[in-house]
Amino acid sequence: MTHDPAHPSGPAAPVDSAGGRTWCDACGTPPRAAHGPRRTLRTAALVAVLLLLAGGAATGCGGRATTHHKPGTSHEQASGSVGTLLETDDGAGHRLREVPAEGAPEVRVSARPDTEDGWNLQLTVRNFRFTPDSTGGAALPGAGHAHLELDGRKLARLYGPWFHLPAAQVPEGAHTLTVRLYADDHTAWAVAGKPVEAAVPLAGGPPGQGAGAHTHAPAPAASSPPASSPPGGAPPGESPQADRTVTIAIRGGKVTPAPGRTELRRGERVALRVTSDRTDTLHVHGYDKELALPAGQEATLTLTADRTGLFEVETHESGLVLTQLLVR
Amino acid sequence: MTPAGPGPAPGAGAGGIGQGVVLHPADPLTALAHGIGSQHDLPISPFYAFAGAFAALFVSFLALGLLWSTSRFRGDRSGLALPAGLQRVADAPATRTALRGLGLAAALAVLLCLLLGPDDPARNPAPGAVYVLLWVGLVPASLLLGPVWRLLSPLRALHRLLSGVWRPAARPLPARLGQWPAAVGLFGFTWLELVSPDPASTTTLLIALGVYAAAQLLLAARFGERWFADGDAFEAYSALLARLSPLGRRDDGRLVLRNPFHGLDATPERPGLVATVCVLLGSTAYDGFSDNPAWINSIQTSPLGRTPAATLGLLGAIALVAALYCLCAAATRLVCGPHPGPLTAFAHSLVPIALGYLIAHYFSLFVTEGPRTVIMALGTDNAPEPLSPLGPGALATLQVAAVVTGHVLGVIAAHDRSVRLFPPARAVAGQLPLLALMITYTIGGIGLLLN
Repeated sequence: MTHDPAHPSGPAAPVDSAGGRTWCDACGTPPRAAHGPRRTLRTAALVAVLLLLAGGAATGCGGRATTHHKPGTSHEQASGSVGTLLETDDGAGHRLREVPAEGAPEVRVSARPDTEDGWNLQLTVRNFRFTPDSTGGAALPGAGHAHLELDGRKLARLYGPWFHLPAAQVPEGAHTLTVRLYADDHTAWAVAGKPVEAAVPLAGGPPGQGAGAHTHAPAPAASSPPASSPPGGAPPGESPQADRTVTIAIRGGKVTPAPGRTELRRGERVALRVTSDRTDTLHVHGYDKELALPAGQEATLTLTADRTGLFEVETHESGLVLTQLLVR
Repeated sequence: MTPAGPGPAPGAGAGGIGQGVVLHPADPLTALAHGIGSQHDLPISPFYAFAGAFAALFVSFLALGLLWSTSRFRGDRSGLALPAGLQRVADAPATRTALRGLGLAAALAVLLCLLLGPDDPARNPAPGAVYVLLWVGLVPASLLLGPVWRLLSPLRALHRLLSGVWRPAARPLPARLGQWPAAVGLFGFTWLELVSPDPASTTTLLIALGVYAAAQLLLAARFGERWFADGDAFEAYSALLARLSPLGRRDDGRLVLRNPFHGLDATPERPGLVATVCVLLGSTAYDGFSDNPAWINSIQTSPLGRTPAATLGLLGAIALVAALYCLCAAATRLVCGPHPGPLTAFAHSLVPIALGYLIAHYFSLFVTEGPRTVIMALGTDNAPEPLSPLGPGALATLQVAAVVTGHVLGVIAAHDRSVRLFPPARAVAGQLPLLALMITYTIGGIGLLLN
């Protein structure tokens, strides 16, 4: 799993002091004749300055200092007194927090195909409320957030009952979408040793169907009303809402069309429709937007060019530059 | 469903995927693991390019006609001495030791960050410290204060510490070597920055810096501490740029304030000086044209593979710059007859041109990524996105002004050298090849800003 800005800076201190000792060893050799006392003094000053500066600098390295987190940005598992913390985890390192079945949080999920793109998910929770403003704090009964997973891969953290899942995030084929409830301290709520979760089957549409990701016809999910046909209306080659659409295909490490520049005016919206022949990640530099590219399926990343400059659009695995966004 | 219609449709990726939803499809360690700086400068508009090119041409020919006819620059003999007290403080052993300690501590901190920090330049300050604070930061530091890396160099400090333990007899440094080691080192560093597949990864940096430091320390153990002056690439780079600093040291050892032209005129003509300047010019030029989509495409589709193709590109850029310079030196010799140091006599006049290139290409990197690196090193959470203080127009003006100013300074320095070396009758004609070369470099530099 991903996330957590926190990396405790534990090992920095011991290594630092070891470094200091090395310098002491170095200066502990007998000073040469004429410069004796002066040299010792200078070396001592050097060591003092070194220790001071290295110590100060080292605090900024090896991850962030754990004491300077803004509330809610830490990812430590606080030991709250609610329920009992089990040894088992959810498969991603979050331990389970067992509570009695009576009054325990409950969740149900339904996925309804969206008329344009993907699905609209609705979580129905009981004995639970979403508390995004206290995430990272201690576990409180009946409060927290949810995780959204596709076949065990985390897609998003949910802070409310509604969520739009773009079709581009669901590769072709049958999948299971799982929603699990978590406490503010990132432990998973559990009853009788099992996490509180709900699942719904999803079927990703075939690649290349229709004009783009937004016209994929998602197969109906089990607990949702079916929508059998793709909602028509979008003319091919146009992404709704985007001022410019760039279509790029990657096949065998070759980018078609050849990398060029996409000139945009500041504030314009651009849709990048990318088909890769292997699983990859699309990344727009500067804007730091990423999108999973399932193998062989078109995925669309839409962004508003709100900063001027020249930005590269790249894939991470294959390291190819696809195009440059030139925003004036 | 109206395409591009007003009003947000539900879903449809309004505001991109990132609105309220954070997708992490990639391993966070691989994210951003390439290069420093996520944004390149916009191409300048043709207006600035034409204005710059015209100014460069105009000044060049004006200089031919109007500049002095007897040499005025006196190299290291010139300068207004600074107060003795200031010099005592600057030269005090305590000051020197403190500076060396500072450099060593900073190097140690970078090493710790590389060893213990995350392999992600967005969260680890070490890559930014090397590529931005050191490499680009040395430019303003050397311009303002002189050859600062000589004082801060952790290699010198380590060498002194180590030579207390083990001191083999120093052998004489071959004179033919000159600045060639520095030229090679600079090429290696620019290759690491611009060509190597993963320049900002901690592994790459650890290996590169480790190998470099070990090689330098061994060579310094063999040849003594004076090895560093021309052998350490960063020291030679800093010393070369410091030639244009208003702070300098006179022949008699006094610290002086001086006209930068005098300092530039005193650039020692060593073997390898031309190579060093050409590596600086060529690598910066390569950095400019490697942004071009046509070049990106030819690298990505090259049958050689990406890194070899890019290496050839970098070598080609340096070779082109060097070949033009050699051609010009030959033409000068043809016009004016033999003179001392046919190749190095005018090399110093390329230093301001290289400086102009460096400023034009790295200014916005320095002002955005520099503060970001410092903020990261101080451990601040949620650092604000760095923004350039200059708008596109102002930045284009600055870039063109830097290239043209470098050109003008180069023309003046070359003119003075020309009237000193050649008899008055041939001095003007003798400058013509060099003037043509500088105009080529300058128009080329402006052209790179256009692309």
